[in-house]
Amino acid sequence: MKKNSILLYMALAVTLILAACGGSEEGNEAEAEGASGEKQTVTFWHAMGGQAQTALDDIVAGYNESQDEVEVVAEYQGSYDEALTMFNSVAGTDSAPTMMQVFEIGTQTMIDGGQITPIQEFIDADDYDMSNLEENITTYYSQDDMFYSMPFNSSTPVMYYNKDAFEEAGLDAEAPPETYEAVEEVSRAITESNPDMKGFSLQAYGWLWEQLLANQGGHLLNNENGRESAATEIGWTDEQGLSILQWVENMVNDGTFANYGTNGDNMAAGFLAGDVAMYMQSSASVREVVDNADFEVGVAFIPHPEGTKREGVVIGGASLWMMNGAPEEEQQAAWEFMKYLQQPEVQAEWHVNTGYFAINPAAYEEEVAVQAHEETPQLQVTIDQLQSTTPSNATQGALGNFLPEGRQVVESGLESVYNGEDIEAAHETIVENYNQVIEQSNAAQGN
Amino acid sequence: MQSSSSELKNVFLKQKKKTRRQNFFKGIMFLLPSIILFSLFLFYPMIKTFYLSFFLTDMAGTPTVFVGLDNYIQLYTSDIFRKSFISTFLFVLYIVPSSIIIALFLAVLANEKLKGVGLFRTMYSSTMGISVAAGSIFWMYLFNPSMGLLNEALGVIGIDSIGWLTDPDWALIAISLTTIWMNIGFTFLILLGGLQSIDQSLYENANIEGAGYFRKLFQITVPMLSPTLFFVLVVTIINAFQTFGQIDILTKGGPQYETNLIVYSIYREAFVNRQFGPASAQAVVLFVIILIMTAIQFKFAERKVHYQ
Amino acid sequence: MSIPLPQKIILYVLLIVTSLMVFLPTALAFIMSFMTNQDILAGNLPQSFTLDNYKYVFENFPMLQYLINSFVVSIVIMIGQLLLSSLAAYAFVFLEFKGRDIIFYIFIATMMIPFEASVIPNFQTIRDLGWLDTYQGLTFPFFAMAFGTFLLRQNFKMIPKELREASLIEGIGDFKFYLTVVLPVAKTSLITLGVYGFLTSWNMYLWPLLATTNDKVRTVQIGLKQMSSQEQLNQWGVLMAGSVIVVIPTLLLLFLGQKHLQKGLTDGAVK
Repeated sequence: MKKNSILLYMALAVTLILAACGGSEEGNEAEAEGASGEKQTVTFWHAMGGQAQTALDDIVAGYNESQDEVEVVAEYQGSYDEALTMFNSVAGTDSAPTMMQVFEIGTQTMIDGGQITPIQEFIDADDYDMSNLEENITTYYSQDDMFYSMPFNSSTPVMYYNKDAFEEAGLDAEAPPETYEAVEEVSRAITESNPDMKGFSLQAYGWLWEQLLANQGGHLLNNENGRESAATEIGWTDEQGLSILQWVENMVNDGTFANYGTNGDNMAAGFLAGDVAMYMQSSASVREVVDNADFEVGVAFIPHPEGTKREGVVIGGASLWMMNGAPEEEQQAAWEFMKYLQQPEVQAEWHVNTGYFAINPAAYEEEVAVQAHEETPQLQVTIDQLQSTTPSNATQGALGNFLPEGRQVVESGLESVYNGEDIEAAHETIVENYNQVIEQSNAAQGN
Repeated sequence: MQSSSSELKNVFLKQKKKTRRQNFFKGIMFLLPSIILFSLFLFYPMIKTFYLSFFLTDMAGTPTVFVGLDNYIQLYTSDIFRKSFISTFLFVLYIVPSSIIIALFLAVLANEKLKGVGLFRTMYSSTMGISVAAGSIFWMYLFNPSMGLLNEALGVIGIDSIGWLTDPDWALIAISLTTIWMNIGFTFLILLGGLQSIDQSLYENANIEGAGYFRKLFQITVPMLSPTLFFVLVVTIINAFQTFGQIDILTKGGPQYETNLIVYSIYREAFVNRQFGPASAQAVVLFVIILIMTAIQFKFAERKVHYQ
Repeated sequence: MSIPLPQKIILYVLLIVTSLMVFLPTALAFIMSFMTNQDILAGNLPQSFTLDNYKYVFENFPMLQYLINSFVVSIVIMIGQLLLSSLAAYAFVFLEFKGRDIIFYIFIATMMIPFEASVIPNFQTIRDLGWLDTYQGLTFPFFAMAFGTFLLRQNFKMIPKELREASLIEGIGDFKFYLTVVLPVAKTSLITLGVYGFLTSWNMYLWPLLATTNDKVRTVQIGLKQMSSQEQLNQWGVLMAGSVIVVIPTLLLLFLGQKHLQKGLTDGAVK
């Protein structure tokens, strides 16, 4: 019998070892790469899909070819939300990357998570000059005179519109609507002239809600958007919140609103297919939309309610974070790559192939940028919109580690209005649930 | 005499005890791998989930603050969770009877002795070989608002397009359609196997008595099939409660949490929002629901099931 | 007894209509994967046949790596499940010892614990073991399987106990008996269970989503999900080509193993 059980365990052990091999092999591989001292591998997680991914991959390939010390491996991890979810799950393990792209509202989460090395350390050690970067961007990403992360891709929301459809409806294609009321009116005109085309679409996306609030000077969170002290509840007034919902409801009632829910891809596809004439989205896809449309695409500032002053927009987009789990040489290699990304010629390439700003304004002087602005003047709009923004706590954006969860609350509320729910009730639900999110998050931190 | 007999008995007992110990040891040896893995990946996590449900945690999931029953009270009062709870039950209600009835219908059809019936069986069972991810992409196309086949077809017969995945009145139905389709293959296969194991002489006798098609269906087929139907029922219900992939790809729980079924809700609360405590409380709720459902099924259905 | 002709016609019509309905989404995907994007967007019938979508998938995504990963993961899980289930089933059928029945009922009860409900601690376990992004992290949690044990137990029961007693008298131990007699006799059930295990592992979604972060170990299902979020402007041809690549192995396996599955699973479920 003893013999039997020994046999048994041998058989089991063989399977276990077999299974374990898969894993250990990989460990060996990674070690071998490091030990041979040829190239330092840097893992770079990002959330750039579609055309932006192609542009980013080209930049990474360019960097890898430009020198033979560092090999950057760019890995797509899904949307910003999905990438951050993935990172939070594996933070502190071997699976975590060397550096990662995180969207702006993940800033506080990253700082609180304690898994990162502030890039200020590298700036100081290297005496790197951050002052040649766009000022609007550097103020957004610095807190207490310290850079936690390296700005990389920044955009603002813009309003895309179909110029051909404007003309067919007898509208001036060079004078896009600036206020909510004007958007409603234009939408009616468009749907009237072409019943198959809706006027306007607003993706149920928390980021756009934040932008629409900022544009009328509203705060997302109290305590000056969480910048003076940690926010304890939401910061916008009923009037501000309701103005957005009212605007949407009017268009829904007019039958001019196209509802794509939370799906931005379908919305863009609908715009390109001529199902809807105007929509709001990040300027980051200007290039992709202009290239893929078989009509004239216009790009305009985002609207605001009549009777309010246009305050401007919050910088959206993402920055690059250094993980503290990586060994020093690896971090150093990642830092080199981050610096490479700031160079004017790289930024120019990035700007013209996507629609993100050049965070280094010198890039606009580059030949490729000058030329692209001539060919695709739409790229200029996003720069103008940012530069005409009034700096304030509203347009600096909110801070809090619960912002991604808060967006879910807003998105659900927006969808309910798209589907005909009473706006007062919808607004109340948003406020209530958002406050609960804030409360729960504060409680978990023992505040 | 006496003493030697009891000595013998003693030796015998000792021997028996030894054999018993050996047998026990041997049995455990065979079971040990399973027991270890069950303990590590099923029992321990179950207990840990209960434990976590009484805490709030940090981002990595380490418990920080003991909150007693607060997580459960939050669930009880939360609109979002109530919606998730109702959606989950509605979903089960939508898909379980339809999956089984459709699959049973197909199995009865495919059980006829006809030429080329093998091809039809293969086509019916094909959805079992289609993964959640691929199946969801197929249906994502069918549901597409601007060019999907379903809306095009509706357009042909003059009905307005439906926002399958964006209209809160339709999203859960859309997810249910997808899931029913995915279920058909497996359910069909099992039911067909059940039909084929029914004793043919029962039908022959019925034919002699001149019983019609439907009488045979309801008086022979369905009763004789009841153990298989019962099995399929249990499996379909348990699977329905665990639906995840199609939601992650098609709706992400939206619109307005309409399709935020419980497993997706757990996933989102834990891995997206990093609220491991409340998420664990939801997991406990899921566990209790499945336990109760299974118990009810065994209590009621077992009695009525006709075993061969 | 043969079926009268009118009834036969009705049956065939029903068979054809229903099977087309069931098969439609799959058939569409196959067709679209060979169409150009212009044709798809315009809603045309296929005007031309193109392999570009497949070429694009293999050039732009590590599809081959995903496929290999899925094969490794599915086969390892399959072997693990067969081994552990058959060992346990052997103990439940042939060995008599104290507590056996209680253990058996505990095993059966585990079928009621949904893996999804315990996914949070499981994830933490795998993470703390450093098993994220490894094959063992993807496979180990699924080795022990109550349904498999149950199914094989039903099958082993049909082997006469006398056979084992005779073997024991001849000095053949339990393990050898298990290897040389029981496993070969139960071949059919083992194949059924193997096919079933392979199919379900290949189609796993939630766990590989959580437990993998890079293309070296990512399975084909998660690869497909990545692809669908990456291709932002509805490249349907490409998406469908990717899906077709993912479903072909399982469809083939299903067609080959259909009879086995149908009989084996039904027996296990009912008898």
